[in-house]
Amino acid sequence: MIGTKKSTKILSWGVIILFLAINIFPFFWILITSFKPSSEIFGATAFQIIPNNPTLQNYTKVLFEKNILRSVFNSFVVSSVTTLYVVLVASMSAYIISRFRFRGKALLMALILGVSMFPQMITVGPIFNMFYQMGLLNTYWVVLPYSTITLPSAVWIMVTHFRRIPLSIEEAARIDGCSTWGTLWRIIFPVAAPGVFTTAIMTFIAAWNEYLLTATLNSDAYYQTVPVAINALRTQFEILWGEITAATIVVVIPTLLIVLLFQKQIVAGMTNGAVKE
Amino acid sequence: MVKRMTFKQFLFILPLLVIIAVFSIYPIVSSFVYTVFDYRIYDQQYSSLYVSSSFNPARFYENCDYIVYYLQDEATVVDEAGKAEIQAISNEISAFMAPYQNQTQNQTLSGPEAEKIESFIATIGQRLNTVYNQYPNAEFYHQEDMPILLEDMQKSFIQPNFSGISNYQRLFKDARFWGALGITALFMVVSVSLEFVLGMALALIMNKAIKGIGLVRTTALIPWAIPTAVSALIWMYMYDGQSGVVSNIFAAVQLIPAPETMLSTFWGMVGSSIISDVWKTTPYMALLLLAGLQTIDRGLYESAAIDGSGTVNTFFRITLPLMKPSILVALLFRMLDAFRVYDLLYILTRGSLESLSVYAYKLMIGQGYYGYGSAVVVAMFACVAIIAFVFVKVLGAEVVGNDE
Repeated sequence: MIGTKKSTKILSWGVIILFLAINIFPFFWILITSFKPSSEIFGATAFQIIPNNPTLQNYTKVLFEKNILRSVFNSFVVSSVTTLYVVLVASMSAYIISRFRFRGKALLMALILGVSMFPQMITVGPIFNMFYQMGLLNTYWVVLPYSTITLPSAVWIMVTHFRRIPLSIEEAARIDGCSTWGTLWRIIFPVAAPGVFTTAIMTFIAAWNEYLLTATLNSDAYYQTVPVAINALRTQFEILWGEITAATIVVVIPTLLIVLLFQKQIVAGMTNGAVKE
Repeated sequence: MVKRMTFKQFLFILPLLVIIAVFSIYPIVSSFVYTVFDYRIYDQQYSSLYVSSSFNPARFYENCDYIVYYLQDEATVVDEAGKAEIQAISNEISAFMAPYQNQTQNQTLSGPEAEKIESFIATIGQRLNTVYNQYPNAEFYHQEDMPILLEDMQKSFIQPNFSGISNYQRLFKDARFWGALGITALFMVVSVSLEFVLGMALALIMNKAIKGIGLVRTTALIPWAIPTAVSALIWMYMYDGQSGVVSNIFAAVQLIPAPETMLSTFWGMVGSSIISDVWKTTPYMALLLLAGLQTIDRGLYESAAIDGSGTVNTFFRITLPLMKPSILVALLFRMLDAFRVYDLLYILTRGSLESLSVYAYKLMIGQGYYGYGSAVVVAMFACVAIIAFVFVKVLGAEVVGNDE
């Protein structure tokens, strides 16, 4: 396998380039469409790569008339708040799980794993009722049920990371009179910072991408996040592809930045638990 | 040394326990409870879980109020004797309905109380009939409305809607449910198989071609990282009957009869949703498997090569067995993910292709059938449990890492 032939190497690179091309092509195509006036999106010019009359009209429409930035803002609020409290709660519990003996620990871990496995749809009805009765529909409180999709994996990733930290470090701290809080915040957290950061990124992406909960709980456009708001752009009778593609480009940019900046952490989070070391 | 947990440390996991209890356990238990009721949120008589009979005073009051109001109109078209009788009826209703004003909570009634209300409704009905029959030639304004109001008044009595296992029985006879189950299973099996095969091939290639891996990885992450709702929309455009580039290419190479096929026929929709899912998730699968591949000791390959093992042989004898743990975990989580597919189908096919999640959502949120919709969801829950059980117990997937 080490001394592979040149032809296999070329073939390998061919496959990789094809793979990358397929990955990128849809984005490339919507980017083109977003600059086309609606007359060029249909008909003979639909498949033309360079628009005859490139326009920024689609962008000004979605940015200023359809107010897509409001939903980007909502997504930021919802994802950031979710990330903050999920990381806090997950790190506290992961610390105890990785450091202390207690009855029912195996059960707790099985429960957390179970929660990450069951179909999310099972919580939607009762949570809708709960929010309706408490008058929380169309608010940012939607971040609380986001925990069902983010918290289990956050705890899971953190436990794995905390277990890698040698006990000796915190034992010294405890001898010096550090409390449990102090040990977690001053010793464990800084040492496990990469793991904490990975957890935060994964939580943020999961919250950013969540559709079902916001679609159900926040029917008011004022509180809708990106995945829901962008789908509200297609109306019952016609689909304004120019505007939709422009909006897509706008909302994909934050994701793109996150991927470019944090790809190492993302891959670490993705493969966590799936790979035994 | 691992210490025993004390109460102080218990406080550290308390937030987790509370959140899981409120937003995961409680909703799951509630969903199970909903399944044994004929619970419909958009129908007043079924809009809660009623174990015993109860009475809706607000509904009763509202109907009484309408009758009194209408009677004023009716009094204008009859003679003095009729006016007096109508006034008498009106007074009686007003007196009877007074205690129920401003009561919004449903209440449980005692037997005699319920009978009293029932007989009141019956008496009013009779007396109204008498008046209407007495003046066959008078042009009443609301003669046709009265029976409707009286009937609606009857509905202030709420029967218990506990329905036992009938929602589950209905499930077994519901062709739409079995269809959705079939679509979900098909989607899950085909998507995950394709993703696995393609992901494995890519992982093997990437494992050898280390140069430029960063770029490949970044690009591969993008489809995975964008919201499914957005990628579904992107693909909706790619498959569009008129200006969809993918559907037009497929039609040009005779893969499909016409570009419209992709989003308007059953198999077109199955194909398009699978392609979209494979596009979005293969990179994820490839990176997972690549991570698994990289843990294999390269020395093993060298010894295999020295022993004269061929590429194919090495793959099946060394790579696959050593990767079994990572493969099983990756497959399990991907299958569960594919099984609950919702946003992709709901957006890409506008819900025409019904997975179990889509069907349950339409039943519950669309039509308000919480009881029956919950039964569909509980069936999904059971399927997920079976899949997880098979993977963990039969195939031996190590989902729970070694403790301590």
